[in-house]
Amino acid sequence: MAKELTTESYIDHHLTNLTCGHVGMNEEAGIYKSFWTCDPYMVDKMGFWAFHVDSLFWSVFLGGIFLFLFKRGMSKNKGSDVAPKGLQNFVEMCIEFVEDNVQSLFGSVKNTLIAPLALTVFVWILLMNLMDLVPVDFLPVLAGHIAYAVAGDSVSWITGPESFYFKVVPTTDPNITLGMAFAVFVLTIYYSITVKGPKAFIAELTLHPFGKWLIPVNFVLEMVNFIAKPISLGLRLFGNLYAGEMIFILIALMLFFSSVPIGVLGFGLHLVWALFHILIVALQAFIFMALTIAYLAMAHETEEH
Amino acid sequence: MNINATLLAQAVVMIVFVAICWKYVYPQILATMQEREQRISDGLEAAKKADDSLEEAKLAFEKELSQAKTEAAEILEKANARASQIVADATTKANTEAEKIMASAFANIENETNKAKEDLRQQMSDIIIDTTQKILGDEISKEKHEAILKKAAEEL
Repeated sequence: MAKELTTESYIDHHLTNLTCGHVGMNEEAGIYKSFWTCDPYMVDKMGFWAFHVDSLFWSVFLGGIFLFLFKRGMSKNKGSDVAPKGLQNFVEMCIEFVEDNVQSLFGSVKNTLIAPLALTVFVWILLMNLMDLVPVDFLPVLAGHIAYAVAGDSVSWITGPESFYFKVVPTTDPNITLGMAFAVFVLTIYYSITVKGPKAFIAELTLHPFGKWLIPVNFVLEMVNFIAKPISLGLRLFGNLYAGEMIFILIALMLFFSSVPIGVLGFGLHLVWALFHILIVALQAFIFMALTIAYLAMAHETEEH
Repeated sequence: MNINATLLAQAVVMIVFVAICWKYVYPQILATMQEREQRISDGLEAAKKADDSLEEAKLAFEKELSQAKTEAAEILEKANARASQIVADATTKANTEAEKIMASAFANIENETNKAKEDLRQQMSDIIIDTTQKILGDEISKEKHEAILKKAAEEL
């Protein structure tokens, strides 16, 4: 049966992910066999091994668009003397922007992975952030109707279009942003060990700032610093985009749940916030990219202990 | 905040995308850009070389022109000198020829005069002889005649 549309349910609907996962057998909870499901009421029983399918779908889809556009953009006029324009121009602008940033932050250290990594991070996050500018109700409502039309009869938990959750901005999901930050963290550790050597890496974590007589204290302090980097990297992006999305939802509420004058005001606010949000979208993508390069540059720095 | 396996999945997806970009996308884009940059750089260098060549050609042309002008001036000067020389030679030669012609003419005149005088003397001699013969009624021999002439010449 369709849930009644209230302010709370509207916000809840837009901030809930389509989560699929494995539900284990739990006789106490009345579950007598394990199974895979996307039922939103079973999310708390899925544990860690649950997946935000909508976030992952958009993430992979937009990543694919990024690779497709960049591959196609350059192959079109390859070897031509014609001045670049359109998509190729955009691709080259992005490449030059990334190369400049890598050069300024990374210096003369040669690592062929850094620039492709920075480019992927920047364009991918930019595309994911740009999904925030799509009107908040458009894609979730469309997906709900399609899901209900396709699987409404066969899937028990799809009771109506509104029962199907479909969040469209992957960067408003902390799993996505922290996942990317985690990948950067893994690369940072890998390069710290391969460039500096395991001994120097361990020394870096244990001999600062108080020298060899306070190794436990050093280790605790350095570990906090070390782990805070990827967490802050991921949470910064998530927080900014989540707040932006929340404001869009609140403005949308002004349009649909208030009087006509407030609705008109909401429409104006929506435009103003969308314009301002373009800046946030690009800025956050840039910050994530710049910090990624900076952390990897730090992993390449060798110092005497 | 619900943290779940999406985090790990996203990390894996990111590593896959970065690997694809690193292996198949970025190097091609960079190669295309560098290739075009190289072509532009080569073009600029070629243009610079062409400019330099043009400048060199201009300098060579000006040098050649200047040399040609100098040579032309020298040739003209020589030609003028030669012409003056030719005119002077011609004048000298003409004067000499004129003098020769004059000398020859004077010689001819003198010869003619002498010849005329000789003829005249011969005619006079003949007239005198005839007259004398008529007067004397006697023939004058050749020896006498010669003697008379000699005497007359001496008296003259």
